[in-house]
Amino acid sequence: MLLLAVLALVAAACGSDASTDDADGDAGSTDTEATESASDDSSSSDDGDTDTAEAAAGLEGTLRVMIHQNPPMVEWVESFNADFEAANPGVTIDLSVIDAADLPTANQTRLSAGDVDVTTVTVTGFANPVQPYMTDVEPPYWQQLIDAGLLMDLSGQDFVGNYDDAAIAEGGSYDGGVYSLNLGRVSYSGMFVNLDLLGEVGVDVPTTWGELVAACDTVKGAGYECMTAGGADGWPIFVGAYGLLGSLYPDQEGLVEGLWTGEAAWNDEQGQKLFERYEVYANEMLEDQAAGLGHDAAIERYKAGDVAFAPTGNWQAGVMEPAADSDLTPAEFEWTYIPFPGSDNAADNQILFGKYDQGWAVAEGTPVEDLAMAYLAAFSDPDTYNDFANTVNFLPTQPTATLDNTLGRAVAPLLQEGAFTVGYEQWFIGPAGAGQWANAGQGALWFYNGDFADAAEAADQAQADFEAGLGG
Amino acid sequence: MTAQQRTLFGAGRRRFIPWLLLAPGVGFYLVMAVGPSIATAFYSFTDATGLRGLPINWVGFDNYNEFAFEGARSRDNLDAVQRTLLFMVLVTVLQFGVGLLMAILVNQRLKGSLVFRTLFFVPVILGAVVQGLMWKLFLRPGGGPMDTIYGWLGLESQFLAGPSAFYWVVLVQIWANAGFTMVVFLAGMQTIPAELNEAAAVDGATGWQLFKNVTWPQLTPAVNTNFLLNIIGSLQAWMLFLVLTGFTNSTKVLGYVVYAEGFGQQGTSSFRQGYAAAASIVLFLLVLVLGMAANFVVTRRERKYLG
Repeated sequence: MLLLAVLALVAAACGSDASTDDADGDAGSTDTEATESASDDSSSSDDGDTDTAEAAAGLEGTLRVMIHQNPPMVEWVESFNADFEAANPGVTIDLSVIDAADLPTANQTRLSAGDVDVTTVTVTGFANPVQPYMTDVEPPYWQQLIDAGLLMDLSGQDFVGNYDDAAIAEGGSYDGGVYSLNLGRVSYSGMFVNLDLLGEVGVDVPTTWGELVAACDTVKGAGYECMTAGGADGWPIFVGAYGLLGSLYPDQEGLVEGLWTGEAAWNDEQGQKLFERYEVYANEMLEDQAAGLGHDAAIERYKAGDVAFAPTGNWQAGVMEPAADSDLTPAEFEWTYIPFPGSDNAADNQILFGKYDQGWAVAEGTPVEDLAMAYLAAFSDPDTYNDFANTVNFLPTQPTATLDNTLGRAVAPLLQEGAFTVGYEQWFIGPAGAGQWANAGQGALWFYNGDFADAAEAADQAQADFEAGLGG
Repeated sequence: MTAQQRTLFGAGRRRFIPWLLLAPGVGFYLVMAVGPSIATAFYSFTDATGLRGLPINWVGFDNYNEFAFEGARSRDNLDAVQRTLLFMVLVTVLQFGVGLLMAILVNQRLKGSLVFRTLFFVPVILGAVVQGLMWKLFLRPGGGPMDTIYGWLGLESQFLAGPSAFYWVVLVQIWANAGFTMVVFLAGMQTIPAELNEAAAVDGATGWQLFKNVTWPQLTPAVNTNFLLNIIGSLQAWMLFLVLTGFTNSTKVLGYVVYAEGFGQQGTSSFRQGYAAAASIVLFLLVLVLGMAANFVVTRRERKYLG
């Protein structure tokens, strides 16, 4: 069966051209003569609802849209789609919601088959570009999609100008073209802090690693839990520790380059410290129950109020403080979001590391190109985008948008100081032949899963696996 | 052509009728099984990505070389192969035993045996995702049913998130498929003439002697079928690993490596379907060699018992 599965996809991809240019295909078609940019004539309701999905002249057809699972975002997109359909009676939006982990596969197959028009191409912007100091590495899959001619160049579209230059350049450009419209930055180097609980046990918000360790001891001594995360999904464990990595290596891009050039090592003094703290985080700070919680369930569990910290991405703020018309319930305690205090130096714990999150891309050769462009134009309307960013809690990539909520107030001072940096794992590519332990950004999970019990052993293994790819 | 064959296939144009009737099935088999298998072997020598529009280049044995010999990656792959073999041994032996035991139990003329027969078979029809979801809930640390039982015994475990995760997947695999093993054994048991058991009983055979000298030899076809199916099924198993343990280095089996490499599931990696095809050919060879060896053993056994 496995052979069949692999083969079927290769054959589908390499078979006949299966042109998607045919507007009479089953994807639906559009007779649109011209599409007007909705960004110029959009309107907005007083409550900031998503009714800015302005009608563009004569649009009709079915637009196949694919996004990944993120409860607040899915709710918002469904509402936006309904408004867009209402404003364009001839239009139907066929929305697919898939797990984020399945995005590569879904994009690979559906773009190759011409089965999607507008898609979330990645949830990491255009991360992991091949750098000059890297040799013999495979390009990231988003680059493969573009090289294969499967994504449309959005350069020149009016709505592209609604986004800030950095987002366009770093989050969606490649080889002179704009292939993805990045919808927001997210930080995953921080953690939610239950201020009510800390107040009850008489602990200040920690600003250093030592304070965090002491806070956990106090919290647990009072019968509460220190931290929770989505251990059942695995990846939330190491993503929760990205802040720890970041605070010990403020120059995240430099760390990756250092590993490649030999100027840094996972088992040098700083690396050893990283692994020792991973071990404490995974084995002592996280509650036992975390192993049974998925990513989405973990933040719901955190909302119960008896856990002090939840190290995770700021996108979870949309679950902590959902939009007024959401089915989700808000946390019933006062909270904030702070950078993970993993360093002994408080100044190193004031940086938000993160990534460019999802970006819209349009399938090259889509039979409903005008409709796709109108959809992105409507989405990119500043008022609509502002509502989106506030609902989903993305750090905005449109300069006119601001987060007007608890998260926004928590991170605004950090962002004003320019303290948002693209994180380590957005730069890291392991050399070909590197072992499965080479990416120590995932080291916290190794302790959590019991793969290693000793920090020094894990650090040595990580470095050995990385060097194995370098021919060391 | 023998006279018998001429009779079977008829004479004149009628002799083509059997071939015409076979043609759809043979054609389907060639298109859906043989063709893709040969093509996978071909792609294993290329850098195919699975993306329409990217060229496919011939890379010779590079994919195999990388799989088996390059850097620490080859060690990880070897670990996955070893893990796959361990999984095969554990599942084959234990599932065989559990399935046989269940078949013996439900083959008794006892009240309710039909109900248990159905209950034992139900997991087989659920599918890996449902099976995985059920067991993830059952093995949930922090208050899940198994965690509660462990608590009563003064034990602790992280179950699927801990170092014992691999063995929990073995358990789930057996739970999921033992019902099928049971059905095959049951079918075999029900073909054993009752007279044989009755005659042996009249001669004073004990229950164990009945099983050893009558039931077991007569079960030879079922034993052999289960043996081969368990080996092949466990070598190919990977979905339960994905559903139950997800992204975990220490539980990767070869089938999961194929999936992860071919479909961009290795974190930030690329689509590498040529490499995945090479890994799947390795898996195929593993299944082929072990399957043929097992077939040789069971064929000899069948000749010994049944002539």
